[in-house]
Amino acid sequence: MATAFFSLAGRAGWRPVPLAWRSLTANKRRLLRSSAGIGFAVLLMLMQLGFEKAFFDAALEVLRGLDGDIFLQSAHKYQFATQDPFPASILATAKTVPGVASARPLYADWFDLFWKSPFDGKSYLVRGLAFDPDEPVLLFPEVEAQRARLKTPGTVLVDRRARRFLGMDQPAAQAELNGTKVAVVGSFALGPDFMSDGTVVMSDRTFADVLHGAAGSPPGVEAGVIKLAAGADRGAVLAALKKSLPAGIAVMTKDQLIAFERAFQADVSSAGPIFAIGTIVGFVVGILISYQIIFTEVSDQLPQYATLKAIGYPNVYLLRVVLEQAALNGIAGWVPAWLLSLGLYRLIGRIALLPMRLSLGIALLSLGLTLGMCLISAAIAVGRVIRADPAAVF
Amino acid sequence: MTVALAWRILTYDKGRTALALVGIFMAILLVFIQLGLFFAVPQGGMLLYDNMRFDLLLVSNQYEYQAQPGAFPLSRLAAVRGSPDVAEATPLYFGVAKWKGGVGGVWPDLFVIGFDPASDVFTPDSIDRQRGVLARADTILVDTTTRPMFGPLDTGRVVEIGDRDQTIGGRYVLGTGFMGLGVALASDSNFARLFPRRGLSEANIGAIRLKPGVDPEHAAADLRKLTGPGTQLFTRARLTARETSYWTTRTSVGLIFGSGLLISIVVGIMVVYQIVSTQVSRQLPQFATLKAIGYADGALAVTVAAMSLMIAVAGFAPALAAALWLYREIREKTLLPVTMSASHVAAVLMAALAMAAVSALLAVGGLRRADPADVF
Repeated sequence: MATAFFSLAGRAGWRPVPLAWRSLTANKRRLLRSSAGIGFAVLLMLMQLGFEKAFFDAALEVLRGLDGDIFLQSAHKYQFATQDPFPASILATAKTVPGVASARPLYADWFDLFWKSPFDGKSYLVRGLAFDPDEPVLLFPEVEAQRARLKTPGTVLVDRRARRFLGMDQPAAQAELNGTKVAVVGSFALGPDFMSDGTVVMSDRTFADVLHGAAGSPPGVEAGVIKLAAGADRGAVLAALKKSLPAGIAVMTKDQLIAFERAFQADVSSAGPIFAIGTIVGFVVGILISYQIIFTEVSDQLPQYATLKAIGYPNVYLLRVVLEQAALNGIAGWVPAWLLSLGLYRLIGRIALLPMRLSLGIALLSLGLTLGMCLISAAIAVGRVIRADPAAVF
Repeated sequence: MTVALAWRILTYDKGRTALALVGIFMAILLVFIQLGLFFAVPQGGMLLYDNMRFDLLLVSNQYEYQAQPGAFPLSRLAAVRGSPDVAEATPLYFGVAKWKGGVGGVWPDLFVIGFDPASDVFTPDSIDRQRGVLARADTILVDTTTRPMFGPLDTGRVVEIGDRDQTIGGRYVLGTGFMGLGVALASDSNFARLFPRRGLSEANIGAIRLKPGVDPEHAAADLRKLTGPGTQLFTRARLTARETSYWTTRTSVGLIFGSGLLISIVVGIMVVYQIVSTQVSRQLPQFATLKAIGYADGALAVTVAAMSLMIAVAGFAPALAAALWLYREIREKTLLPVTMSASHVAAVLMAALAMAAVSALLAVGGLRRADPADVF
């Protein structure tokens, strides 16, 4: 904005005096005060936006980590994290569909797996993910690297980012799942979501062993993970799968699966509106603070503005200077808030085990909101400059 | 004099004072929201207990929180019944089953609570009145806040739950809390049919009512000898403390709303400070004049503090009104028991006053620099 203005001014034949910049930096104490004021309003918005994103990301982390192009799950599922397995024969049928390179099973359980912490001896419900170690379905690099170790029956990988009380973040060679001793042969970093406190990854065989007591029969497939053959058309394979599989099986692309889960979370959780309230409050308070700042600055510099007017600068020029100054104020508040939130995101992400990511989207959105609130307040405050009568000021 | 002066300054520049009020209003409102949510979550976790009659709760030592309670043999509860302190001991059974009648063909998970319908362990009137209905075979009562995805909850509707057809015998008002998206009550014998592998040999929680005049703390100590290893016995106070600490420390709830609370307080300080310090700088010549005619710095500081406090107090009442409205909205939308209590009001008022005090303290710095000789 500043550069745009300078060049505009240059083209119009004015000497590009960085007036807005000069008035911003004229009073260091006031600059500090204004960036602190705007900065905290921005920080509030950044934190609320971050929490909202983290809430959804936590629920989507596992789905994003699935290594496939097309997914099969029971059509009765209302969310991914619920038990509704289908028979393995469905995958056999899927494999016969032209264009399908592989159709692999993912086994999962959210309700029946109890992890006995090796440290406090208490049992906690955990999420279990399982697959055939020769047919991997997860994208997590650490799981992939340690996959071969899972071939030994009775071995598991645990989530280092599970909630602390599970004791998965500390090295332990042995633990118990549903009363069966298991060897912990490695770990990965995933994190809890709002349903599960921690995750255990194992082979399909170990999964069947530890669940034997609970389910009694071999576990069904929770999701089918399909990869397309080279050159196969995704839309065509999707349609062919829908045709050859029973109506009780939902066939989805990865994006559709993620959208399905996101829609469920948005429907039941109200995390969106809760964090939106915080963001809106940050925005309105930001307008108020920034209005105070810009109003004071304009008032203090009224004689200068009147002088500019007297020597022939049009109102448009003054308007531009005020808006630009407001934008600079906004940026002066946004930058420290953004830097501070980088640290806060890391800290909260580590303590609360939330996937707090200061994404480009959040950065741009918060910057847009910051500029928006500063420009709105400047537009309100600028009336004073427009009305400034050079004759009256002195 | 100083307070009157503060009043004069505030009423002189009405527009600016109005702005200040809007600012502090928003900040206090946000404090209310964050605080409300912070406490609503553990309260949501306590919802079932708050609607039950008991003095002591018997649970397994694997007990995590209400929806993950572990189980203990029914005999442990039977042992308690023999004690002269105990009036009644009621087992409750929890199970999760597929509700095979959701909207659009989905099968949402239903949280089923099994209990002896002869027992008045639940306090809601709507449950008490319909206990007779539960005595019918394969009949359940559903919670009114069961999510819309479960489809209509009309009395008489037959839904397959797990592997059995069940008739909705009526609805009751309690709330689903964190038990699930839908909750139903069933008689213990019906529960056993719904969960045949599970049966009734193990209960999830045991609600113990003591005879009148028996001290729960003492009784708990005595009864622990009867319940034996593998179980725990909580008084209501212990249970509340435990559930609250579970939700605030073991989940991200505490951190999310706690940090929101902290930031909204700082934002409140910033907005009051901005406005008061602008007032101070606008009135600097006047303040300098007062100094010149002999007013001490202290008196002027009191004026500034009075301004801040007046703004905070004036902003508080509308914020409280708006918070009451927003609480109701959040309650209806999220089904979280976001409620206003006297202690919340007091706490937020204290926070508002503290916000005002801190911003006054910051703004007074500008006042001290007011040098009469400089200003003119």
